Amino acid sequence: MVRFENVGMRYGMGPEVLRDISFHLRPGSFHFLTGPTGAGKSSLLKLLALSHRPSRGLVTLFNKEVSTLARDDLPAVRRKIGVVYQEFRLLDHLSALDNVALPLKIAGAKDQRIYQHVAELLEWVGLGNQVDAKPPTLSGGEKQRVAIARAVINRPQLLIADEPTGSMDAEMGLRLMHLFQELNKIGTTVVVATHDLDLIQRFGNPVMYLKDGQLSSRGSTKQPEQSNETAE
Amino acid sequence: MIQLFGKSAELQLEKDVSTRYLPVVISAMIFLAALSIGSLFSLSRAISDWSDTLTGNLTVEIAYDPAVDLDQKVADAVKLLSETPGVTTARALEKPETLKLLEPFIGKNANLDELPVPRLIEIIIADDSAVDLAALNEKLSASVPGAALDIHRPWLTKMVTLGRSIQLLAAAIMLLICIVTVIIVIFAVRTGLIMHSEVIQVLHLIGARDKYIAEQFQNYFSRLSFLGALPGLIAAIIVMFIFNFLVGSLEASMLPPLTLGIEGSIALLLLPFLIALLTKYTVRRVVLNSLGRMM
Repeated sequence: MVRFENVGMRYGMGPEVLRDISFHLRPGSFHFLTGPTGAGKSSLLKLLALSHRPSRGLVTLFNKEVSTLARDDLPAVRRKIGVVYQEFRLLDHLSALDNVALPLKIAGAKDQRIYQHVAELLEWVGLGNQVDAKPPTLSGGEKQRVAIARAVINRPQLLIADEPTGSMDAEMGLRLMHLFQELNKIGTTVVVATHDLDLIQRFGNPVMYLKDGQLSSRGSTKQPEQSNETAE
Repeated sequence: MIQLFGKSAELQLEKDVSTRYLPVVISAMIFLAALSIGSLFSLSRAISDWSDTLTGNLTVEIAYDPAVDLDQKVADAVKLLSETPGVTTARALEKPETLKLLEPFIGKNANLDELPVPRLIEIIIADDSAVDLAALNEKLSASVPGAALDIHRPWLTKMVTLGRSIQLLAAAIMLLICIVTVIIVIFAVRTGLIMHSEVIQVLHLIGARDKYIAEQFQNYFSRLSFLGALPGLIAAIIVMFIFNFLVGSLEASMLPPLTLGIEGSIALLLLPFLIALLTKYTVRRVVLNSLGRMM
C-alpha cells in the first residue's frame, strides 16, 4: 500500500527536514504519526498526500513509484488519497454540500450520483441539517466533519489526517477518532498525525515516532512491527 | 452570456478586484482595433477604385486663355486624338463634369465661366495598344497650342504608395493592440494565480487536473474580454457613422468616407469573438505553464 525507502526531503536548497525514512504500511492498517514540533510530521504527510516530491529515496503508493511520476499521472493517484487538514482548507464560498461534492465533481461524476452520495455522507457525519451552510457559519467541529466527508467521499484507499482533533474539545475528538476507526474497518488505510499522547494511548494503534526528521519507535505506546511490515 | 463561457465555481474569479478594469482596457483596445480595421478596408477600396479609374485613362488639359476660342481648341484636340491609332475614346468633359471634379476645391456654387479653369478631354487607350505618349503629347502641343497630355501615373503611384503606407500603419497598430492585450491578460492571470494559489493547491490535492483549473481561468477571462469588446466595438461603429456623416455633410471634401464593404463588416463583427479566442488561448497557455511548475 505505502512504502518509503530511504526517503529524504528538503525545501528548496535548505537542509533535509526528513532523513532516511523507511517504512511500509499494509492495506487496511491504522497508524498514528507523532513527534515533537518541527520533527517533520507535516513534511511526511505532504509526501504521503503527493503535495511534494522527495529529494531522494523511493515512495511507492498503491504499487506505483510516485516520486518520479509524470505530472499528468498525479491526479489519478491523488484521487485514491483523502486528506484532512488541521486548518480544514474548505472553500468558504461553497456550501457544505458543494465542498464535499468537489472531489466527485472533479473526477467527472454525474450530478445525480454526486448529490445522492454527498447527502448520505453528510448525514453519516451528523451534518444532515447543515448541508447548505457555508464554512464560516459552522463551528470548528462541524468544519472538521465537512473536511472529513470531503476526504472520504471518493472512498479513498489511504486517509491522511493532520492534527484532526487539534481544534475541538476532547469529546468531539473522540467521536472523530471513532469515525476514522469505522472508515478503517471498511478497508481504508489511515494515518493520523497528532501530538495528543492520550488519544494515541486510548486507541492503541501502531505509532510512527518522528524526531529530528528521522523515524524511531521511541514514544510509541505499542511497538510498531519492524522490518518491512510497518514503521521501521 | 455567463452560461456561454461557464463559471469559475471553485476559484470565484468573479470577485477578483485585480480583473475589474480588464473589460475597460479591452474595450479601449477593441475601439482602436475597429477604427484600424475601418481605415484598412476603406483605403483598400479607395486604392482599388483609383487604380480601376485611372488605368488606361489619360487627360488632355487645354490651358485657359481668354483671348482664344477654347471650344474650338477642344474640338481640334478631340479630332486629333480620335484619329490617333490606339485611342478608343476621346471625349471633352462638359462644364458640369469639370465643376464636379473641382467641387472638392472650389465648392458647389462656383461659376465656371468666371474662373480661369482649363478645359479637359478624357482619353481611353485600348488595352492591347502601345501608344507613344511622348510623341502624342508633342503632336498635340504643336497642333493645339496650350494643350498638354496628363498621364496621371506619377500621381496615382504616389497616392497608392501613401494608401499602402497607411494600410501598413493600421496593420501595425492592430498587431500592437494584440500584443498589448496579450501582455495585459498575462499580468491579470498571473495575479489571479497568486491570489488563488491556496484554492488551486486544494483542488490539485483532491485530484483536479491542470486543465480543470485552466478552464475556470480561460472561461472567466474570455467572458471578460468578450463583454469588454462589445462597448468598444459599438463606440467605434458610432464614431465611423459620425465621421461619414460629417464627410457627407461637407459640400466639398477630399476625404473619402469609411466604407468597409462586406469583408470589412464581417471582420468588424468578428472582433469580439477573436479577442475572446485570443484571450482564451493566452490564458490557457499561461495557466498551464504556471501550474506545470508546481508539484
